[in-house]
Amino acid sequence: MAAFLREPTLNTLGLGSVLDIFSQGRLPVTADELVDKVFGPAGDRGSVVISGANGIVGAGKAMQLGSRLQPYGVRIVGLDFPDAPDGIGQQYQGLVGSFGKAAADRVMGNIVRLTYDGKSLPAELASFKPRFLLEAIPEIQSIKLAHYKVFREAFPGIDIKSVTSGFPSKELGVGIAHPAFPHQINKMWEVVEPETSDVTRLFWALGLIPTPVSDNWSFVLDVLFCGVTLAATRYHEATNMPVWKIDKFVRKLVGPNPLRAHDAIGAKGATFLTWSCLHHLNKTYGGLFEPTRAIEAVKEHGQNWYPLNHFRPLVNWSQTDDEEEDFKAWILGPLIQMTSLILHENRAHFSHINTIGELCAQFRKGLLATIRNLGSEEPLKLVDAYHKLHPASAGPSWHPEVFQNMDSPEWQQLYVNAEHDGNAGVITIGRESYCWEVDAELNRAIDWLKAEGIDRVIVTGDFHLATQMVGADTSDFYDALTSVEKGRAITHAWSQTGRRLNDEFKVSVGFVNGKRCLGGFLELLSHCHYLVSVDDGQLGWPEVNLPVVPGMEGCHWPLRKATQADRPRLMEMLLSGRFVKATDAVGWLVDYAGSMDDALKTAWAIATDGDHGLSKRGVEEGALTGVPTDMPGLPEAGNPGSAAARKAIVETVQKSCGVPLAEALAVQADMAADFLASKWCSKGAVGTEYSKTMKV
Amino acid sequence: MSNEARMFPDARIPYGTWGSSFFPAWQTSALAEVNIGQFAGEAMNRILGIRKVRKDVLDYLVIGSTIPWHWKFWTAPMVASCMGQRLPGYHMEQACATGLQAVVLAGAQVQTGDTDVVGVLTFDRTSDSPVGVFPERRSYERTQAISDVWDNFGFDPATENSMITCAGFASRKYGIERQMADEITLCRYEQYFKAKESGFLDRFCVPLELLNVQGKHLGWIDEDLGIRKVSRDSLAAMYELDTSVTAGGQTHASDGMACLLVTTADKAKELSPRPEIDIRFLGKAEVRTQPSLMPEAPGMAVGKLLDRAGLKVTDMAVIKDHNPFAVNDAIFSKVFDYDWSRMNNNGCSLVWGHPQGPTLTRLLIEGLEEAVDLGGGYVLLFGCAAGDVGIAALFEVKGGGN
Repeated sequence: MAAFLREPTLNTLGLGSVLDIFSQGRLPVTADELVDKVFGPAGDRGSVVISGANGIVGAGKAMQLGSRLQPYGVRIVGLDFPDAPDGIGQQYQGLVGSFGKAAADRVMGNIVRLTYDGKSLPAELASFKPRFLLEAIPEIQSIKLAHYKVFREAFPGIDIKSVTSGFPSKELGVGIAHPAFPHQINKMWEVVEPETSDVTRLFWALGLIPTPVSDNWSFVLDVLFCGVTLAATRYHEATNMPVWKIDKFVRKLVGPNPLRAHDAIGAKGATFLTWSCLHHLNKTYGGLFEPTRAIEAVKEHGQNWYPLNHFRPLVNWSQTDDEEEDFKAWILGPLIQMTSLILHENRAHFSHINTIGELCAQFRKGLLATIRNLGSEEPLKLVDAYHKLHPASAGPSWHPEVFQNMDSPEWQQLYVNAEHDGNAGVITIGRESYCWEVDAELNRAIDWLKAEGIDRVIVTGDFHLATQMVGADTSDFYDALTSVEKGRAITHAWSQTGRRLNDEFKVSVGFVNGKRCLGGFLELLSHCHYLVSVDDGQLGWPEVNLPVVPGMEGCHWPLRKATQADRPRLMEMLLSGRFVKATDAVGWLVDYAGSMDDALKTAWAIATDGDHGLSKRGVEEGALTGVPTDMPGLPEAGNPGSAAARKAIVETVQKSCGVPLAEALAVQADMAADFLASKWCSKGAVGTEYSKTMKV
Repeated sequence: MSNEARMFPDARIPYGTWGSSFFPAWQTSALAEVNIGQFAGEAMNRILGIRKVRKDVLDYLVIGSTIPWHWKFWTAPMVASCMGQRLPGYHMEQACATGLQAVVLAGAQVQTGDTDVVGVLTFDRTSDSPVGVFPERRSYERTQAISDVWDNFGFDPATENSMITCAGFASRKYGIERQMADEITLCRYEQYFKAKESGFLDRFCVPLELLNVQGKHLGWIDEDLGIRKVSRDSLAAMYELDTSVTAGGQTHASDGMACLLVTTADKAKELSPRPEIDIRFLGKAEVRTQPSLMPEAPGMAVGKLLDRAGLKVTDMAVIKDHNPFAVNDAIFSKVFDYDWSRMNNNGCSLVWGHPQGPTLTRLLIEGLEEAVDLGGGYVLLFGCAAGDVGIAALFEVKGGGN
């Protein structure tokens, strides 16, 4: 009997749980079978038609889907007006950059470009056997409806999905597959359909991230993104602060710089979409969403929000403490209120709502995580303060009651879930970078499994929202740049969480299910008794190049598990930042690497005490001797910061390996924190990002 | 004075919605490196933001400057765009009278009933003034090139005399002695530093941080740079450039901007942080005196204005003037038998410099602030301008006090 800390997000796609994946030793669906289902068998394959294919969305998705479907022989038909500027051709260089010229040529060669007059379809379209239409034409309902009619008449039974950012499915009469910018690479799609379709499952099988949302105006993403844009422009109109500066303050406060994003996408089109969403939301939900005059104006004239290059901002703006408090109310107030509406209408799984904000709208932490961090009272105060500033927002679209149950697992486990079958458990992490929130949730997940009597566990990605594990969220290091104590709080606490995976379970298995496992996540999973990876997983500690010193025991723990002969390999990884393929790291960093199915079966066998044939690599608890002090032959560090980090890493390795395991955590954590507070870190990538984001 | 006798009876200046940059002397600050039109627009927006006035209440903009700047052809609309607001409007200039004349024109604009809230924005950058090249085939050189600030200050084409020469002529005509000019100068510096120490300047001078094209810090405009402390001895030791004219007794070139709003009575109440204060336009006068006697012209304009208004200088609560030379104040004092130490409280352009366009706007703001401190009264503002012109205007402040 399976038990879940909260509902697995995979289940929202009808794909079961992560526990199912491990226990069955395979993924719930494969791209092969779903391509056959959606497009017909090989030899009789149909095609994807993307209408509006030269637009920003259409061209981007032609690349994203084209690169994934070309190996299956599914053709992409790009349909647009004869005079549409060539959006697809512009994608070619990006494609070459990502995949190389040969693959790019194959992808482009698989795309057929046809033109039409908007009323009738080209005769040769039928020869490509369209099975799936991804509609990416302008956000005008009458045009969209006419478009669907033409397709349905020509190709009865064709599956149609609209990329609309606002119109509900019930308004359009088709399913919704709303993607997020930048469309070539962003894997997120908001999906509206009565039940999960094969197309949606195929998206998942192709490595994309479909997230079901309810059939309400603007779904989740554009309530939040248009909402933060609206909030920024309201503040602009109330205070005169130029939008370029507001963008900086918004980025400092929550992460996005919404007006810059509009300009990057294309001010006229993006602002029209924002206006369209707000306009319809305003009609349904009232003044909370009423477009500002600034949005109305840019929608009409289409000029960039930011000043022209020859008028780059000259006079700076700052905020007093009181103004900063007001600013929080102006920005967070409406966002909290909009989130209350999303929750009240149950628009999506909590983790989806949270992740959509992070992956699609640039929020540093998802809105639910942000609100959770504020506690139960502060959000209400902020909305109250906002209503005083903007009385038109007060009214029926405010649902404070949704914040009353923040102690529930849905609120508390936004990123980390736990599942078990009474014997073995799975901890799934649905965030690609490790942060305080993940750390806290991971601890709660461990506590829950232990309370449930589970002492065998697999720790892995969630097979849905996180497609890789890239290490620590360096925005959590900002405070540590100027405070050793803050740094030590991070390195000690996060290391202790890692230790729990070693100390508190009879068997723990780290499972690398994505294409990368780097930095802090590799340190975390290395704490497990076994590390299993898919064969093409890339592993590494890129910290040296940031530069930072690995702070979750990476400077001694893996060395304690490796033989004397293998330790130089680990040193090379630490000092060069180079990645290693999982199959090349078997025996000294990874215990098993294989195909997805084999890796799943092996991990499950380990976790359930089955026959796996692997020996557990022990952790040396005494002081290590003979740990390499340098790596002859290592190329020169590229810059003084990396050179300093190399030196600090060598010292940390020597000192943390030179004491018993019981003392090593403190030694390693302190030294990593000291380096975080050094000038090298401040001058490096973390410090630069901190200055750019927080010192505005 | 009856309402009918007032100039622009429907126009008001809303108290406390104004502001000015500090005026750093030429070549001493980051202002020497910028497009002053862009700076002025962005600075006015910043000032309005600090004053809690939404820029979208403006429906017209009168700008004033005297030194050509990049894209000046686009006049007020360009500067308004730099404020972040699309406004109609125009550019005006009247040499050193610009800062007052722009305010008067804004009053006229409101009086027409066509617009409700007019922004007045005056500015100039004397640093690195442009060099104009004028093809003139009839001239001996066939092409004339002049550096806008210095070549003009040194040569009035109507008289071939410089500004300093005018001051010398006027000094001799009125018998202004060096000692008197020095005493006035010393007093003016003491008035300025007293005001500065009291925090008076902080009420309207807004520190502004400038950014370079990368968005990094370029410099702060947070002080009237270039003001030296003077003493009786140091002034006495100065070389006399012309009769009673020394480096200490004349102003210096500087850069800066100043702005205020002109609107209707109702709107002024809505916009002002102290709606009980009412500031009205009473009148304006201009004269042009004999060649090269510019420093006497302002007094003549004052006489004309007061005669028309039926008032005396002793009726004035506040008197401020643009005094590029201490001689100007000495002549005014002699003509009106007025104690020069009672005027120009809190500072004047002799001390804090002369960026031309905004000079009289800042003086007006200073004068209105002073009148409000006094609980109201008449504010007389006057100054000289190139071409031997004098301009004077009278405002009335009702209400105020601390």
